[in-house]
Amino acid sequence: MSIKETELPGIGKKFQIETRSGDKMVIVVHDDGRREIYHFDNNDLEESISMVTLDDAEARCVAGILGGMAYVPKALETVEMALDDMVFEWYKVEKDAQAIGKTIGDLDIRKKTGAAIIAIIKKDEKVLNPGPEEIITPGETIVVLGDRKQVKACKELILHGGI
Amino acid sequence: MPEQVLLEIGLALAIVAFAGILAARFRISIVPLLILAGMVVGPHAPVIGILDFRFIKSAPLIDFMGRVGILFLLFSLGLEFSVGRLLKAGRSILVGGSIYMAINFTLGMVLPIIWGWPLRETLVVAGLISISSSAIIAKVLVDLKRTARPETEMILGLMLFQDVFVAVYLSIISGLVLTGSASPPSVLKSTSLALGFMLGLILAGRKLAPLINRLFNVPSDEVFMLMVFAFLTLVAGFSETIHVAEAIGALLVGLILAETDHLDRIEHIVVPFRDFFGALFFFSFGLSIDPLTLGGAVGPVLVAVAATLTGNFLAGIIAGRMAGYSYRGCTNIGLTITPRGEFSIILANLAKTGGLLPVLQPFAALYVLLMAILGPLLTKESKWIYNQLAHLFGWPAWKEINKPDRTI
Repeated sequence: MSIKETELPGIGKKFQIETRSGDKMVIVVHDDGRREIYHFDNNDLEESISMVTLDDAEARCVAGILGGMAYVPKALETVEMALDDMVFEWYKVEKDAQAIGKTIGDLDIRKKTGAAIIAIIKKDEKVLNPGPEEIITPGETIVVLGDRKQVKACKELILHGGI
Repeated sequence: MPEQVLLEIGLALAIVAFAGILAARFRISIVPLLILAGMVVGPHAPVIGILDFRFIKSAPLIDFMGRVGILFLLFSLGLEFSVGRLLKAGRSILVGGSIYMAINFTLGMVLPIIWGWPLRETLVVAGLISISSSAIIAKVLVDLKRTARPETEMILGLMLFQDVFVAVYLSIISGLVLTGSASPPSVLKSTSLALGFMLGLILAGRKLAPLINRLFNVPSDEVFMLMVFAFLTLVAGFSETIHVAEAIGALLVGLILAETDHLDRIEHIVVPFRDFFGALFFFSFGLSIDPLTLGGAVGPVLVAVAATLTGNFLAGIIAGRMAGYSYRGCTNIGLTITPRGEFSIILANLAKTGGLLPVLQPFAALYVLLMAILGPLLTKESKWIYNQLAHLFGWPAWKEINKPDRTI
């Protein structure tokens, strides 16, 4: 797939996309928030054969659908966001996790896994940057920061009480 | 009586709004309708009941709001303007733009010389004829859903090129026209003063950008807006005192602020003001024209329109072919760049301030009226025009596209 980005001064930005299947598509993002998607004739790359206009909210919605964000398969409980090597990951503490009742300090997460718990989201409160005295309780969501290996180790530690 | 002035302004705004509705309904540019609306009313118009269509009491106020309109139009041009962007657009734009400006400017110079108009009038007409309306063109491209076409890049690149030309040309013209003297030394002096003022402000703006960044770094949108507009009006007002057109002052403020971190925020707040006062600018220009004086301008205008259309089309074909676009694309370029609008009117206004031949205003009004309506119309019909020309010159036909078969 190739993407060519061009400025359209006074209008917005144009993204010309040629897909692996040979289709040509142009997306114009207008300065006023409108998006237009043009589909070009495969035999005549100057003529568009169909187009769709979306307003800002619609475009975001479509982007979500295309990106797989609007429909997340049940199997994937966790969502990842990659920042170079660093990964944020968040997951729910299961009822049978071994770490329940222990504090972050007890578990020695930082030292054992290298990952850091940067937030805990409970039913009715959010703990940012929790201290070592914070107790793991079932049902809360833990946000972990580290590289992939560290984050995975941290998950193991909480679930099984050891690595 | 002040109440009457308020009522008159309200009436003027109602007319402007109505022109907007008509423009949207018939899918044409609002600019010619606003000028037309302004011409229809005015001192010769009737008084119906309490509604005074003569706009005598409110004329100075409308005129002033029109002046503010110029400031906002040029200010937003300055914000958009970027030499860096132009250089990035590449060689084909620079070459194409030079060809485009050269052809049109030559035509613009030759016509008034043939008509025997004096030098300053000739220069105003040359600018008036060669500068397209980037606002109308951008709108037409969006309305006709042509933004994704390949040649649209070239068209907008040409507009970018033209903006640079406008900035320089406007400063030269304002030096020439506003000093009110035609002797070479004083003209040279005033023109270099204008150019010097421009360069000085731009350099100062670059040097002071960090300071301006800090100064304008206020959280309140209200205060921010007031500061920006105060800066704009102060510089524009100061320019006027040294015989540099206030429009240039506004353009420069735009250029300076475009270099700061606040560009997006400013663009956001300026749009409604530009649209409001800009509309009143075109209306007030129409208001200043007595429709009865239009008759004298008809001949020259028709010649100018024909020349502009031919010149632009040729320029579009040459510039487009050199950049490697197809004949279809080139036809679109040559037709799309024809509308004239805000800059032509600004130049005519400048001519009025400088006391040039009064025929320039009806000339500009009629010319813009025709070009702003004809241009988008021709752009819309470019396919038909192309097919006629293709027949004539043996270009490949613009075939109807076979819609892909959707049935499975």
